Amino acid sequence: MITIQTLLIAGFVILLLMLLSNPGNLKIQASKKIIGVLFVCAAIFFIVFPEKSNDIAHMLGVGRGADLLLYILTLAFIFVSLNFYLQIKEEQNKNVKLARKIAIIEANQVEKSKKSNQRK
Amino acid sequence: MYKNSWIIIPVYNEEQVIKDVLNDVLKVFPNVVCVNDGSSDDSATEIKKTKAHLVNHPINMGAGAAIQTGIEFALQDKAAQYFVTFDADGQHKVEDIAPTLKYLQGNDLDIVIGSRFLGEVKNISKIKSRFLQVAKLFNKITTKIDITDPHNGLRVFNRKFAESLDITLHGYAHASEIVEHIRSQRFKYDEYPVTVLYTDYSLKKGQPMLNAINIVFDLFFNRITKK
Repeated sequence: MITIQTLLIAGFVILLLMLLSNPGNLKIQASKKIIGVLFVCAAIFFIVFPEKSNDIAHMLGVGRGADLLLYILTLAFIFVSLNFYLQIKEEQNKNVKLARKIAIIEANQVEKSKKSNQRK
Repeated sequence: MYKNSWIIIPVYNEEQVIKDVLNDVLKVFPNVVCVNDGSSDDSATEIKKTKAHLVNHPINMGAGAAIQTGIEFALQDKAAQYFVTFDADGQHKVEDIAPTLKYLQGNDLDIVIGSRFLGEVKNISKIKSRFLQVAKLFNKITTKIDITDPHNGLRVFNRKFAESLDITLHGYAHASEIVEHIRSQRFKYDEYPVTVLYTDYSLKKGQPMLNAINIVFDLFFNRITKK
């Protein structure tokens, strides 16, 4: 029997893989999108058949459907937070590289005009 | 003399002391690049009063980013062979640079990091001293490199090291990133005793100890997501 524990641990392992992967990795990107779609499907399913959450919960060894949804929500939250953190770090790095380029170009220009002023 | 050396000084809001610090350095070293990391005070104006090269970050990005910018600026000089990072707040002594550089050259090393614990420490508080010991232990555990003062801002390194360095931890964690870089790329390193002066001025500006939490966090993520 697949318990909730197995599922949750598998979930966290997937999060770890996400963390360790190269952000540009297309396979990971696609997987994230698939996970997103699955989540929406699951959400719609449980909205339409709320009692089913109880059945599935019992199958996994969880007391109530609401508890099951809470566990899934926790996983989802960490997934989303981690994703944001990684993306923000990437964006920050790009910003820094851009700002640096501007700073150095400007400094070189100042140096150049200083030199040509000296020659005059 | 020292025409092939570049001194890199990251600056953030040091209008009170930066001019004097720069002029002291310029007495010995002709090539000084000062990276103004988006200071909100008149640091840039003060720097312009000296013969140091000035690079202005359009936004504040952190000491690590400033050092990387300074290195890339200095690397434009094809004749540059040695690079020195130096603090802007007067904590370092200019007299410590030359011996450290000589030590690097004499032993054919890639990088030499100054250590206040091999040299003199003036006026350090007990708490800060204890704290730095913990930082040293952390560095040793995570990088397996035994350095007595990993967060010392005075470092001397050669062009090979400079060209290979790409600091991505833009804040104070850059110090740990540099040590990690030494480890992962197996550079030849050593330490050299330097004096660190804790003046009333520099004590006010020092890194808050809570920053250690940020550094640990950033370094951890950087280490495991390194490509």
